[in-house]
Amino acid sequence: MEMDELQYTEFIKKLMNPENLFDEPEPLKGVRILDVTSVVLAPSAIDYLGEFGAEIIKFEPRRGDQMRYVTPYAYFWKNLSPGLQEQHHNRYWVGMHLGHPKAKELFYKFVKKSDVVVDNLTPGRMAEWGVSYDKLREINPRIIQLHVSGFGSWGPYTGRTSYDAIAQSESGFAYITGFEDRGPLKSGVWIADWTTGLMCAIAILAALNYRERTGEGQFIDISQVETMIRVLDWTWLYIFKTGKNRERAGNRDLAICPSDLFECLDGWIAIAAFKEEEFYGLCKAMDRMDLYEKFADPLERLKDENARYILNEIAKWAKNMHVGKIEELGNKYGFAASRVLEVDDIYYSKHFRERGAIQEYYDPLYGYLVDPVYPPRMETPSRIKWGARPLGFDNEYVFTKILGLSLDEVKELEEEGVIYKWNPEVPSQCPPPDWDGKRGLKFP
Amino acid sequence: MDDEKIVGMAINKDYAKFVYKITNPEDAPSKPEALEGTLVLDLSYGNYAGLFASSILAELGAEVIKIEPPEGDIARKMTPYGIMINDAGLAYLTEGRNKFHITLNIETEEGRELLRKLVKKADVLIETFKPGYMDSLGVGYRQLKEINPRLIYCAIYTYGHFGEDAEKYGNQPDYDVVDQARGLIMSVTGEPELDPDIPKEYKRPMKHGNWHGWYMAGGWAAFGVLIALFYRTKTGRGQFIDCSPPEGLFAVSNYLIQYYHMSGNKMVRAGNFDYAVFPYTYCKCKDGYAFMSGFTDWNWAALCEIMNRPDLQEQFPTTKDRLTPENQPIIQKEIEKFTTKYTAAELLKIITEYSKRPDKKGTVVTGRLNPPKDTLEVEHFKVKKMFIKVNDPYYGELLIPNSLFRFMSATPGRVKWACRPIGADNEYIYGKYLGIGGKELEELKEKNAI
Repeated sequence: MEMDELQYTEFIKKLMNPENLFDEPEPLKGVRILDVTSVVLAPSAIDYLGEFGAEIIKFEPRRGDQMRYVTPYAYFWKNLSPGLQEQHHNRYWVGMHLGHPKAKELFYKFVKKSDVVVDNLTPGRMAEWGVSYDKLREINPRIIQLHVSGFGSWGPYTGRTSYDAIAQSESGFAYITGFEDRGPLKSGVWIADWTTGLMCAIAILAALNYRERTGEGQFIDISQVETMIRVLDWTWLYIFKTGKNRERAGNRDLAICPSDLFECLDGWIAIAAFKEEEFYGLCKAMDRMDLYEKFADPLERLKDENARYILNEIAKWAKNMHVGKIEELGNKYGFAASRVLEVDDIYYSKHFRERGAIQEYYDPLYGYLVDPVYPPRMETPSRIKWGARPLGFDNEYVFTKILGLSLDEVKELEEEGVIYKWNPEVPSQCPPPDWDGKRGLKFP
Repeated sequence: MDDEKIVGMAINKDYAKFVYKITNPEDAPSKPEALEGTLVLDLSYGNYAGLFASSILAELGAEVIKIEPPEGDIARKMTPYGIMINDAGLAYLTEGRNKFHITLNIETEEGRELLRKLVKKADVLIETFKPGYMDSLGVGYRQLKEINPRLIYCAIYTYGHFGEDAEKYGNQPDYDVVDQARGLIMSVTGEPELDPDIPKEYKRPMKHGNWHGWYMAGGWAAFGVLIALFYRTKTGRGQFIDCSPPEGLFAVSNYLIQYYHMSGNKMVRAGNFDYAVFPYTYCKCKDGYAFMSGFTDWNWAALCEIMNRPDLQEQFPTTKDRLTPENQPIIQKEIEKFTTKYTAAELLKIITEYSKRPDKKGTVVTGRLNPPKDTLEVEHFKVKKMFIKVNDPYYGELLIPNSLFRFMSATPGRVKWACRPIGADNEYIYGKYLGIGGKELEELKEKNAI
């Protein structure tokens, strides 16, 4: 059938061609990133770019990335930490610490042949090692260097240690999350890390686009706490205009009504219907046209008293309904309604696999793995080639292929302690117990 | 600015001063912009994912034209308790930055003709309608790419524009709460399921307090657009981008999916506990809550030393001991015996002093859980100009967060103005791009096209 005769969603599917991911071009092919990062935030920023085709070389300290040891209930799978796997795909893994004088010289050689350098060490640490932007731009004026930390590279709080939960708490994000009559809550995931990682990736892409036009590189400084401040929608203007604090409201949305989570006979349902015709549809589905007649105007619904009344009426209705039924009604009458998806819903979803949002792939080191693949879906799609690797796993490949060293020279570097591999005493730095000494190695 | 404010607690003062020099926000207005010359049409409707995406592009220098129907974008009315300032609510005023606001009725043929003419000149189009809506009007990607093969068309929608669920639920509108519900993270956010002290009625999934489903999706959309722009400079080719907000959340749901694949197990809601890293929690203190950490064996040793509780270290010696749902409430209560004696600022002082000791055992991290009202008063954010006050000729005094991208040394992000009234830029934009003005513009108004 001709493309212009296809039904719309079929047309888009054909265009996106998710069944043949690897036939489609990689949009960031040819971009090389030097990864001097650990834990979640900065590795995630780099991972987003890596799944769209950037080449990543990760330099790991001898102790290993902290996420080799952060894993639920201290659970490991074939020596692999799921906490490491989550933000490490398609990378080349080198064991090398830039604090070593010889390592620094090698790093300069990489910088000459690279596009982007990212670190999330304490601000100023790279300068102590002689690899901060003032030096790197001399070596390669096209280099884009990004540093990310809790509070940025200057200002009263620069140098303060930050974690995801600090960004959630210092910003005000945790304060506004939780029930109206209970304490504040942090997210169930390290959301400030992942969100800030996305902002880092955006800044890098903006800089790459600028460099395409001008040939100029630049330095980028991103703050994690600032990111969480930026994404708090109307919070700041509300405080400024009313003088009041923004308080918690549970799942109720104070700026959209109705929008809340309701209990059904068999689970939870999220419902939202703000536009007049959507609210009409919801009232029709509930057989409560009296509500529509009274509250057709969205602004009228937002008044606190009205909102509480409307949400309560929906709750009473939903209580005797099944989740699936309300989802159907939502589609029929044009309002938003969905269950709360759990991990198995997503893992087994045909929809997400068909879209390439969940990918199953064969990793030569670990066997079959299943991971989410970063959005958005594009005609030049993201994809996973392989998962995380043991410490120093790709030393030989990287130093021979990119720096042109001989295997003997690589061995020398190892003997001198400039580069290193996994410590056999620490399982989560090591290959799987049944490794044959070959599987997954790129070279030799 | 005096040096003390610039170097703060820096380990390398020269570095802090160097970065200040190359990223000083005072210099931003005179520097170039990363996306100068990029034209973006934002057709999003009632959707802050679309609005945040175009905010990012606008902060980075793209010319963004926000296209609204004649009565305005319903997103203007998404505002707490219905508080409006003239024609815009508080959320819209936060995301109207640097955008030109025009009206255009795509439900009329005249309106669609105007859109086609604009698309010819545009680089990017963002929309948030139900899948197939634009296509059915003859202005979907299928038709527009014929007019402009370099066009990057970004569609944001809960269920995406293809796949089983897009067909099954394609008549539902996109909302943040549903995006969060389908984004997996909500299923593990909320009061701890396994803590017997929590009343049952509170054991339910909890969304993030802000529109995180929408904001994250807006980030992903801008990310995709920037990738597509980069690819286009190499190949000349535009493309379609399908941005599904739930995918934007579960793609960043820690290890949940991998752990399920490997072990067959699901994680449960942990509240402020964390079953992969603990202590890593909010504790009650004298003036609210403070974050406290001490996870690895050496950091835990440091925390126990600071609290003068060697017995705790003996009782929970390994990370495994500290990761069980049974032990975490016990450890939490013990830490709170210490933290409730101090304010958050006092805790920060105690811990900062400890971190300078040459014989410290490890790193402990703390920070106040700020009510947002207090965040506004933090000196650091004032020095960094995180918030800006705008005196808008139409909306009056406003306070909005600054661009996150303002510390790019060559092309800092910036905010030029806060927002514009409905249709305020019709004359300028239709004149500038299409040469339409005067009588012609009046006629289009009469036909309800603008």
